[in-house]
Amino acid sequence: MLRSLVILMASAGLLSACHDPAGGAGGGVREQIRAVGSSTVFPFTTAVAEQFVNAKPNYRSPIIESTGTGAGMKLFCSGVGAQYPDIENASRRMKAGEYALCKKNGVDKIVEIQIGVDGLALGESKRGSRMALSVREIYLAIAANPDGKPNRARTWADINPALPTTPIVVYGPPSTSGTRDSLTELIMTPGCDQNPANKALKAVDEDKHKDRCTRIREDGAYVDAGENDNLIVQKLGANPDAVGIFGYSFLEENLDTLAGIPIDGVEPTYDSIASFAYPGARPLYIYVKSAHLRAIPGLKEFVAEYAGAWNPGGPLARRGLIAATPDVRAQNVAVATALTPLDPAVLK
Amino acid sequence: MNRLGLTDWNGPVMRRRLARRYAAERRFRLLGLGAVLLSAAFLAFLLVSMIGQGATGFLRTEVRVTLDFKAAPLLIDRAALAGRGADLALANAGIPAHLNAAATTAYGGEGAGYLSENSWLDVRDAVRDDPALLDGKASFWVAAATAIDLAAKGHGTAEAKAAYAKLKQAGAVRKTFNAGFLTRSNSNDPTRAGIWGAFKGSLLTMIVTLLLAFPIGVLSAVYLEEYAPRNRMTDLIEVSINNLAAVPSIIFGLLGLAVFLNTWQLPRSAALVGGLTLALMTMPVIVIAARNAIKSVPPSIRDAALGVGASPVQVVFHHVLPLALPGILTGTIIGMARALGETAPLLMIGMRAFIATPPDGFTDPATVLPVQIFLWSDEVSRGFVEKTSAAIVVLLAFLLAMNGLAIYLRNRFERRW
Repeated sequence: MLRSLVILMASAGLLSACHDPAGGAGGGVREQIRAVGSSTVFPFTTAVAEQFVNAKPNYRSPIIESTGTGAGMKLFCSGVGAQYPDIENASRRMKAGEYALCKKNGVDKIVEIQIGVDGLALGESKRGSRMALSVREIYLAIAANPDGKPNRARTWADINPALPTTPIVVYGPPSTSGTRDSLTELIMTPGCDQNPANKALKAVDEDKHKDRCTRIREDGAYVDAGENDNLIVQKLGANPDAVGIFGYSFLEENLDTLAGIPIDGVEPTYDSIASFAYPGARPLYIYVKSAHLRAIPGLKEFVAEYAGAWNPGGPLARRGLIAATPDVRAQNVAVATALTPLDPAVLK
Repeated sequence: MNRLGLTDWNGPVMRRRLARRYAAERRFRLLGLGAVLLSAAFLAFLLVSMIGQGATGFLRTEVRVTLDFKAAPLLIDRAALAGRGADLALANAGIPAHLNAAATTAYGGEGAGYLSENSWLDVRDAVRDDPALLDGKASFWVAAATAIDLAAKGHGTAEAKAAYAKLKQAGAVRKTFNAGFLTRSNSNDPTRAGIWGAFKGSLLTMIVTLLLAFPIGVLSAVYLEEYAPRNRMTDLIEVSINNLAAVPSIIFGLLGLAVFLNTWQLPRSAALVGGLTLALMTMPVIVIAARNAIKSVPPSIRDAALGVGASPVQVVFHHVLPLALPGILTGTIIGMARALGETAPLLMIGMRAFIATPPDGFTDPATVLPVQIFLWSDEVSRGFVEKTSAAIVVLLAFLLAMNGLAIYLRNRFERRW
C-alpha cells in the first residue's frame, strides 16, 4: 500500500516536472493577450476575445480578468514585461496620478480607445407617478447628510412640493458595485455641488465633502438591491411608487413594464446616453500598452477586432453596449488602427 | 410523607419522577432526530433544486440546417483542411453567411435568429472532421439560439415558444445530450459554454496541492509524534498548526499574492500558484489528521518492533505509518475536498479570469470549478442559469467521489484493536 502510494506520488511528481519547464517564467515570454480591469467592460472584452479566437484560431485565447478599474490600473501600470497585463478595461478615464505611476514604472505610450458608452438610468413602473427629477432632487432624496444635515425627507414632496407625496423608496446598487461609483460620481456629486457651500467645502476639507456628497442614507429609503439588476426590475413591477437605479440595458429590455425617469429634463434613451445629454452616461475605455504590441502575438489584431465590434447593431451592442456617436467612433477607429499613444496632458 | 413513600416504586412521587425522566429522555431523542431531519431536509432541498434546475443544462437544443455546398461552394483550399491550419482556413471561408442564408430559406425571415451566434462553429467542426461533406448537400444539426433553447425547456417568451413549436412541427429541432458541456471551456455564449476547462484547472491545482501538502504534512506529523521532545518549542508549534488550520482562507490568498506572485514572480492565474496557496491551507489539516492517526497506533506495536531490533526509522516506516495510513488518507482527502471547493484565495491570485481554452500545464492560466460557478452566476444571459446549476452538479459529483474514496479507504484498511 505504502509502496504503491510512493510510486504514484513519484510519477505524479515526474509528470509535473515534465510539464513545468516554464516554471517561474514570470519574466519570460507569453503567447496570449492578458487584460485586467473593470467588471463593466469585462463582458464586452470577453465577447471580443471569443470572436477573436473563433475568427483567428492561430492565436491563443486571451485571458481576461475582472478586477475592477482601480485595481486593474495598478496591475497595468506595474511595468513592461510578460508578467504585466497588455490591456486595461476601464469604466472611467485614466487619472493623471495613474499615468504618473505608469510612467514611473516605464509604461509610457499608452493607447486610449473609447469603446462605447454605458448609461446609468433611473426608472419606475409604468403605473407609477411618472416623476421628472433633477440631479439636485435625487441628491436630496438619497444622501445621508444632504448639505451637512441629517436627511429627514420621507416623501418626494418633502424635497420639492411639486413632486408627488409618495414615500421615497429607491432601489439601487450596493456599495461594492461599480455602478454605485458612477451613481455618486455622475449624479450625487453634481447635485451636491449645486450648493456653492458644498463646492467651497471641497477645497477646504475633501473628506468632509466626500462624506456629505457621496454617502447614501441608511434609514431604509435607499434599498441595496444586490448586484442583480434583474431583481430591481422585478421589485419596481411590484411597487409602483418605487424608483430604481440600474444599467440602461435593463431599462431597454423591460420597456413594457418600466418607464425611464427624465433627469434635468432629459429622458434616458439610447441617443441621449450616446450623446452624454443624460447625466447618467459614462464612457468606457480600454488602454493598450504600446510596448507590448510587438511582443504579444495578436495584440494588434485583437484591438482591430474590438474596433470592428462596437458599431450599432454589432456584437457588442447585442450585449448591451451603447455605441458612441459616429464621429467619436471614427476617431477611435483611427486611434485603434494607427495605435496613437495618449497625450498625458488631457488627463485630470 | 414518610420515607417509604419516597422510594416506593408504585407511590405517586416516584411515578411522577419516573415520568419526568422518561419525558426528558424522549425530548432529547426528538431534538436529536429533529436536528438530523433538518440538515437532511436542507441537503435534499439543495440537491433537488440543483438537479432540477441543472438537469436541463446537460441538454442542448439543435436546429437542422441543410447546406448545399455544390450550389454555393465554400471559398476554401481543400489542401488547407488536412493540416493544422484547418480552423483558420474554415474561419475565413464565410460559413456564417452560408448558414444564415440557408436558415432564412428554410425557416423564413427570422430563420437566422433561430440559430445561435456561434452555430457556425458546429458546421466548422463537422467539415473539418469530414471534408467530404463539401462535395454535396449536407444536413447539419447546429446549436439553437438561447431563446429557442429556453423555449424548448419550457421557459422563455411566447414568441420563442411559438417559433419552437413551428420548428418542432417541421421536425427540424431536437434536444440531445450536451456533450460539449463536458468537453469545452468557458464561453460568452451559453450554448457553447463548457465545464472541462475549469474541471481540468481544478485537477491540476489539486495535483500541486497534494504533492506539496501530503508529504510535508505527513512528515511533520511523524516528526512531532515520534521524534520531537516535549517542550515549550513543540507546544508552540502545535498551537501554531492548530491556529493555521482555522485561519480564514482569504488570508492565504493574500499571502499567495504577496509571496508567490509579487516576490517569486510566478505567473498570475496559474494552477501552480493556486495549488501552492491551497497547499498552505490544506497542510495543517493533514498534520492534525495524521497526528491523530499516528497517536492511535498502539505503543505495543512500536515496542514489539523495537524489541526485535528494528531501528526507529524502520519502526516508523515499516509499522507505524502503514497502520496509520487509512486515517491519514481520510484526513487528506477531506482536506483536499475543502480545497476543491475553495474560491476566495484563488480570486486574489487571479484565477478569476475568462479563459476560453483549457490549461495545458501547471503554469498555464486556469480557473477552477467553484470560481467558474461564481463567474456564471454573474452572467447576464438567462441561458447561464441552468449552466450554473449544471456546473454545481458536476462539482457536487466530484466532491462526492472524493468523500466516497475517503470512506472506502477507511473501511478497506482500517484496523481495530
